[in-house]
Amino acid sequence: MTVAQETGELRNPGLPGSEEFDTLIYGSPPLAYPATLSQYVIYNTPDPAYLTGRINVSAFANLGAATPWPFTNTNVPLNGHVCIPRGRGPFPLAVFAHGNHNPFENSTPGYLYLCQLLASHGIIAATIDVNFLNGSNFGENDARAIVHLEHLKQFRTWNNTSGHPLHGKVDLNRILIVGHSRGGEAVGHASFFNRLAAIGPVLLDGSAGLGPYRFALSAAAAIAPTDRQFVPVTGPTVVPDSYFIIHGSKDSDVFTFEGYHTYERAHAVDLANPTVSDGKFKAMLWVHKANHNQFNSVWAPETAPGVAMPRPSQEQIAKVHLGALALAVLLDRHEYFAVLHDHAVATAWDPAGTELVSQYQDPQRIFVQHNQEGLGPLVVSLPVQGTVAADGVVATRQLTALVGGAATTTITARLAWNAAGSRLLLQVDPATLPAERYKVLALRVGQSNEAANTANRDQDFTLEVSSGSRTAVFPASSLHRLLFPDPPPFGPAKIVMQTLRLPVARLVECGVDPSDLRAIALVFDRRLSGVVYTGDLQFTN
Amino acid sequence: MPLPEPPKVAAVEVIAAQPTETDRAAVAHMGAAEPKAVYVVKVKLKAKPPVTSMAWALYVNDELVSKYWEYADGIYFTVSDPQFFTRHRGKQLRFSQNGTDFFDTGVKLAAAPSVAEDSATRLPLQADVLK
Repeated sequence: MTVAQETGELRNPGLPGSEEFDTLIYGSPPLAYPATLSQYVIYNTPDPAYLTGRINVSAFANLGAATPWPFTNTNVPLNGHVCIPRGRGPFPLAVFAHGNHNPFENSTPGYLYLCQLLASHGIIAATIDVNFLNGSNFGENDARAIVHLEHLKQFRTWNNTSGHPLHGKVDLNRILIVGHSRGGEAVGHASFFNRLAAIGPVLLDGSAGLGPYRFALSAAAAIAPTDRQFVPVTGPTVVPDSYFIIHGSKDSDVFTFEGYHTYERAHAVDLANPTVSDGKFKAMLWVHKANHNQFNSVWAPETAPGVAMPRPSQEQIAKVHLGALALAVLLDRHEYFAVLHDHAVATAWDPAGTELVSQYQDPQRIFVQHNQEGLGPLVVSLPVQGTVAADGVVATRQLTALVGGAATTTITARLAWNAAGSRLLLQVDPATLPAERYKVLALRVGQSNEAANTANRDQDFTLEVSSGSRTAVFPASSLHRLLFPDPPPFGPAKIVMQTLRLPVARLVECGVDPSDLRAIALVFDRRLSGVVYTGDLQFTN
Repeated sequence: MPLPEPPKVAAVEVIAAQPTETDRAAVAHMGAAEPKAVYVVKVKLKAKPPVTSMAWALYVNDELVSKYWEYADGIYFTVSDPQFFTRHRGKQLRFSQNGTDFFDTGVKLAAAPSVAEDSATRLPLQADVLK
């Protein structure tokens, strides 16, 4: 199916749906925010039907002592805004959490524009108050995760409380958690904590007020998240649920695309069982010209005027792509996975001229090459058997983080050439590669800003796929643009790979037999020189 | 735009304070004896950096301070194991954003004040230390 056909069948998920909804405030009275925290007085008088308790987060966090919160870390409130569709339901639930910001400014309402969108589509959508963890603090993202999970628990309680307006109205089998910035890191921890019985000395069985959780999380979504500011004793958090991340190239707060490390750790290949999948997907959207703060409608932009795209454009992108995610995973509108598979499906809905890079990994896949065996020469990855030959291409594996920031543990391949016609050839034993079981050949590849690449010009090469005597040839550019990196606000440019998805059906149309697939080649015949990085090559759905 | 600069430290002060219930539970979970005191390490900053999501991780020598918090004049962290001060005696406080590139503050960790065996209840509350 062509992109035009796909968009023709889908309605823009960033446009409001037809459901009517009510917006109200819930909270934990008695609260008496002082005049210096005037933006929080709205929580002093929540809707009488939506009163919440307090929780003790002292095992995870102190509150900044420079802000006069009218409570301590042993009794923080569960405050939030929620948009509730009218009607009987049950409705899926989406809960948004902000990140770190000046604690004297209430960050919570900044996602109401997304909550209202989701509610109009029949999703209960809340944005929660985690402001009491904001300030010049560090390492508190475990506490943010606990607060997020406790808000989910509050909705479960209301759903289970006879006579409450939300009784029986929340579909607890369809929950999406979304976090921005440090709140984005925290949704990964929340996904991890959700399955635990205890964190250190803190039992999550309800005996001390926290937990139990065990929610059926449909996905965790992170907007411009940090990574590893909190690290569990078991090591950096590996998100166990389906994971979506969106980040802007002009982000001048989280300027090293930290969440890319979270993305790489999630649902990575298990070297001991490379064909085993945990059944979860992950998807990524890299937005040229988006900054950090404009994903929150309250926060002033952190970039100088003219550096980032206008705020309405950035909010439109958030609505389209988070809307597509929510419709796909919460409302079983599986056709919206097309937007996650390939951002080009949303071209007509995104602001004109927006440059995006996207990645998608499906739960169903077999790696032909994942590069995680080590820093030695490139190989075909087991259980697929075959050989790799480089002709005129300098092919090396490397551990340098493509997006800057902290060290990475994910290996990528660097392919450099200086003469047109250079090629990297993977020859495979067709008996070990059941390509016919899959719908798509997927390759993650991106160009750098090294001198071999022409500034501001798309990179390109030819993808050749052969079975027996038949070879199908596709310019990479026919599958997707390989954008030149957008200049960053600080530090080195980020190399963000694009997932090229070549339908197996197109191979078949060209006479290639996927059950007898013998070779895949990257032929560098469309530019005289260049450097690209590849992540993995897989057959997938 | 220039890269963000690390905070500049004016002084470091270590104050012994009463452990909280949470401190006692955490120490018990580690299998250690109940602490006589918790040490509040106040790092006074010449100017507080803007509140952002990216953070300057604080290290004492090469040991990451896993959590720190804001107070009126800077940031603080707490230590329940007095051996921390022995281990890092005279060592630099450092900031890093990526765990690879470090910025010395030029300020060394102060020694922990001695705490008498029977003085625990006479120690100030942590909240009072931060006022």
